[in-house]
Order: sequence, then C-alpha cells, then structure tokens
Amino acid sequence: MSDKKPTQDWAHDWQALQKQYWNAWQDVTRNATGAAPDPATPWHEGLEQWSRLFADSGKQNETLDRLLAGAKGYMALMQSMIAAAGNKTGGMDPKAWTDAMRQGFSMPGVDALLHGNPLAKMLRDIGGPGAQGFDQLSANFAPFLQQAKSESLSWLGVPAFGYAREHQEHYQKMAAAFVEFQDAVNRYNALILKSSQRSFEIFENKLGERDEPGRQIDSPRALYDLWVDAAEEAYAEIALSDEFRAVYGDVVNAQMRVRSHVQAEVERIGTDLGMPTRTELNSVHKRLHELRRAHKNGSDERVAELEREVAALRGEVATLKRARSMPANVVAHPKHKAVKAAKGRK
Amino acid sequence: MGPLRIDPLKAMDEALKFNQRLAASFKTLRSLDEVDYGASAKEEIYREDKLVLYRFKGKDKPSAKVPILIVYALVNRPYMVDLQDDRSLVKNLLAMGEDVYLIDWGYPDQSDRYLTLDDYINGYIDRCVDAVAHRHKLGKINLLGICQGGAFSLCYAATHRDKVKNLITMVTPVDFHTPDNMLSHWTRGMDVDLFIDTLGNVPADLMNWCYLTLKPVRLNQQKYIGLVDILDNKAELENFLRMEKWIFDSPDQAGEAFRQFIKDFYQANKLVKGGLTIGDKDVSLKDVTMPILNIFAEQDHLVPPSASRPLKQLAGTKDYTELAFKGGHIGIYVSGRAQREVPGAIHDWLAKRA
Repeated sequence: MSDKKPTQDWAHDWQALQKQYWNAWQDVTRNATGAAPDPATPWHEGLEQWSRLFADSGKQNETLDRLLAGAKGYMALMQSMIAAAGNKTGGMDPKAWTDAMRQGFSMPGVDALLHGNPLAKMLRDIGGPGAQGFDQLSANFAPFLQQAKSESLSWLGVPAFGYAREHQEHYQKMAAAFVEFQDAVNRYNALILKSSQRSFEIFENKLGERDEPGRQIDSPRALYDLWVDAAEEAYAEIALSDEFRAVYGDVVNAQMRVRSHVQAEVERIGTDLGMPTRTELNSVHKRLHELRRAHKNGSDERVAELEREVAALRGEVATLKRARSMPANVVAHPKHKAVKAAKGRK
Repeated sequence: MGPLRIDPLKAMDEALKFNQRLAASFKTLRSLDEVDYGASAKEEIYREDKLVLYRFKGKDKPSAKVPILIVYALVNRPYMVDLQDDRSLVKNLLAMGEDVYLIDWGYPDQSDRYLTLDDYINGYIDRCVDAVAHRHKLGKINLLGICQGGAFSLCYAATHRDKVKNLITMVTPVDFHTPDNMLSHWTRGMDVDLFIDTLGNVPADLMNWCYLTLKPVRLNQQKYIGLVDILDNKAELENFLRMEKWIFDSPDQAGEAFRQFIKDFYQANKLVKGGLTIGDKDVSLKDVTMPILNIFAEQDHLVPPSASRPLKQLAGTKDYTELAFKGGHIGIYVSGRAQREVPGAIHDWLAKRA
C-alpha cells in the first residue's frame, strides 16, 4: 500500500471522485429522465437511477436486475476498501483489511438483517425472474398459512372433537408443520451465517499468504476476487458437511409437508364448491399415460408379429418363385425330386 | 509490508471507471435486440408429444456413413450445442463431414407428469434411434449423450446394444456419490417422494435456483461484476446475454422421471452399485460393450471429473477412450478452446471406428 500521501489529501481526492461520479450519473440520468440523482445517498442511488432508465425496456431486465444487485454489493465493498486505504497512512495488516471488507457488507443500502452475512445476501439475491428458491415457493402459500395460523393458534394442543373435528385437526397439523418448517429455516440460516463468518477467516488467511513481494494485491478488483474465492471456499466447506445435508433436507421436506397441507385444504374447498381438483386431474393424466404405454407396447408386439409373418410369407413366395423358374427337366430330375421331398419333410 | 499494494489514486480511478462504464452502457444496452440462438439449419424428421427430432444441415453433404444422435439432458435446452456461429459443436461436426441429429425434449407440462425414465429411454430415445437408423438403412448408429442425457445414453446402450455402434458421453455423471458432488450431497437428505407428490413436476425456476446456489457468490455477483467490463462491447454483450438466456431458459421436469432419477442415480447410485431397472430392463454398465469416448471437463462444478471417470472401470467395453477438457461444464461447448479441441476429437475418434 502506498502511504506517501497525507490523510487530508485523501479526503479531498475522495470528494473529487464523488463529484466526478455524480457528474457521470447526472449526464446520463438527466438526459433520460429529466431528474438528477440525490447526492445525499451516494453510490446506491446512482445505481438505482441507472436501473430506472430501463424500466420500459422489458428485454434484458432479468440480467439488469442481477447486474444491479451485483454492482451495488461491489460498489459498497469498493467504497469501504478505498475509505480504509485513504484513512490509513501506514500499511494495514490482514485483519484490518478483513474488517474493512466486513464493513463493506454493512454499507447503506444493504439490508440491515444481512449485515456481516454476505452469503445470506447472495443466496437471497439469487431469487428473481428465472430462479425461484424455497423462499419464493413458501411465499406462494403464505396467505393460506396466515388464515391457518389465525384459526389454529388458539387450538394448538387442544383436543379436537365435535362437528368441526377433522377441520380443526387439519389446521392443527398444518400449523405444526409450519412451525417445523420455520425451525428448519432457522437452522439453515444459522449455517449460512456460520459460512459467512468462516469466509472472513479464510479471507484473512488468504491475505496473510499475500505478504511476500510479488504476491501482493494491487487493485480493489483483485481484492474482491480474493474475497470471492474465500467466500466460495467457506460455503463449500459448510455445504458439503453432513450437518448441512441434514438441514437442507429438513428445509425441503418440511416445506413440502406445509405445502401438501395447504394443497389438501385448497382441494377441500374446491370439492365443496364442485370444482375439479389437482388430484382428479392427476388421475386422468396417470390413466392416460398407462393407456398410452399399453397401447404402444401392444402395437409394438403386433407390429413385430406382423413383421415375422411378412418375413415368413416372403420366404415362401421366394421359394415358389425359384421353383417356378426352374426348367421342367430339372424339376423332373429324380435327384431334385428327392431334394424337394426332403425339404418338404423339414 | 502488508498484503496489499493498492495505490489509492488508482483504486479511486478504478471505482470511477466502473461507474462510468455502467453509466455509459445505457446506450449500448438500449440498442440491443432480443438475442437469438442457433447457427446451423435443421429439419424436423420426427415428432412425438412435445419431442422433436432434428437433423442438422451443413454446407456440404455429410461424408460420414453413420450418423450421430445427440441426446441432451432434460434440464436446460439443447441449443447449447449450436448456440451461435462461432460457438457451435454441431456446426464444427457438420463441417468435418458428420451427420448430426438432435433430440429436443420440449417443455413438459402437468400432462407429462407421469412420464417415467422408461418412457424417456426405452420409449422416446428408442423411437428416435429407430427413426434415424431407418432413414439411413442402418442397424446401429452413433450416440452422443450430454450430462443427464449421457446417463440416459449409457442406460440405453446397455439395454439396446444392437442399436448403438459407438457411444460418446460428454460431462456425464456415472458415480453420483463422489465427495465433491454438492448437488448429489444435498439430494440425499431429501424425501423425493414427498417432493414430487407435492410439486408434481419440478419447476424450472427452482432447478435454476439450486444450480445457482452451488456457487452463490461467483454465479450471482462476481459474474455480473465481470459483465461491467464488457458493457461497451456490443458483440461480447450479446454473447453474455445469449448465455444468460440459455441458463434461465429451462423446462420443468416431469415428476415421475425426476423421482426415479433422484432415487436411483443420485441417492442410490445404482449405475455404480448395480440394481438399476428401467421399465422391464435391468441396466448394467458391464453391458455397454461398444466403443466409448468419455469427455469430461476438469473444472466442472456440476459433474465433477471424479463422477465421470469411473466409467472406465465400470463399462464392459474393451475400447475405452477418455478426454479431459480444460474448462467447465458450459465451457466445454462454448469456449474457444472447446471449438478447437472437442469436435475434432469426436470426429477423429469416430473415423477410426467407422
């Protein structure tokens, strides 16, 4: 790290950079939207403004959403690292840089719940057009759960009896399944937090290995790439553990149990209203596939049988043709008669 | 000394340039058309349900006597093998004189939920093989299976030896229980019966999400930071967007086939351990006796090389060839190195076994 410049000069340069930065954004956004970004919320607001320029494009929006999310995170890190470098007149040790990196995940614009937990943020950001995780799947049945919760919380643990016994039992099971699901999600989140913490440890170790001349890092991008390596390594360590396998399975299985309870409830309502249900449609599809298979197999066998019959008939026709084309004296020759007789015995 | 030698002025300049590039990209991005794919002309020669069997047409008539049928995976779309003019396995094979066919599985919907592996392998693939063989008046053709399609091709070749002359497997998982296989590791805690009984078909978006969570930072952030570097290059940007389109253009998975694939391949690892049955046919890799060319990617995070390599020991063939490609699961089709190395390797290998 170069440390020849006094600290106050860094502050000046930083302000100059911000100015250039805003000029760049303002040029673009003013022309396109007639509005300038608000300099009170640096960096992130500029990126937001930029993304709004594409609001009507519809074409590449999925990629732009992902680009924006990535750029925001990266800019937050960059800002943190540059500020750390600028405020430090001496060299920084790996721990100080790791702290600066950690700080980068707690910048304005980053969800407070995800502070210090970059892997949780990455996993959450994956959800979007074209990629829907278990979070999004569970959002689909959330309205039903709200109703179930409101109806069943007071019933939980109370023995079901009377006219609405089955209904009450069903809601109790659904609520219990949801509690299990939440518990599994909490255990999953705890493991992701653990992998985030581990990523900083690995990052610090990796930085420690870069002390020697020739191996030092000379740009924020290279520093970021090193952090990505550390984060992926930490995540892989956790994700390949037996504990993660069990917890991941629990999250999926618990969510499927909640979902199946919700489906059963929707089907019950559908049946009450005389509407066709998923189960009924599945039965039809299943029968159709079975019929189709039976038909195909049957027709395959019939075709094979016909092919054998045609081959046999062709053979007979060929034999007859050969016999007919032979000269009469050959046919009449006793030796040939004997051959024909022998063939006939076969 | 410290681990960093970052000149703060240069660092600030880097930050500024990052933003300037992003800001200036507005014009480039707005000028882009919807990206398209496909480099080679093709004709439909067979259709069944949502499946279409295509024959690709090169500039010249094929010189190869035995055609290749490409069996792609059910996940993602098969146009990856013919993505664009300068990134096409198919185009390169055609230029070398190969005759190339491809099964496009289409997009299954809920009416396909009960399609089984038997339907796919002993049904669809078998009828496509028959259609190609019949067209060329041949008893056997060459099969090129990719990823999951490679596993299907192995099953097919083991049970239909009389119809497969040469088998090429690309990035094909064989041993699903290697310690570095994250996807397999996760599926082993899942109750797949409950999963399919509840979901029916497996939503494509959920599949995509699972793949992205294998490397969440690299695939969801670092890749897009890298995108900023090429935002001012229209051609590069179009390449990127074409890949993005492919990544997120995924079909839902037919429920029953998915159930069996996860149970028998991912969870029970039956290709290695034995006991695999598809329909009424027992599948043993010992019955794969035709020549095999097994191509895998050394940096493949979806199908690690360790998952592909065991084919050498498990297959019954005496003519086994391996090609380790320096790249990843996708790079094996689209990288510059892939264009130079993979089609030529396939063509040369087939030529020796024509």
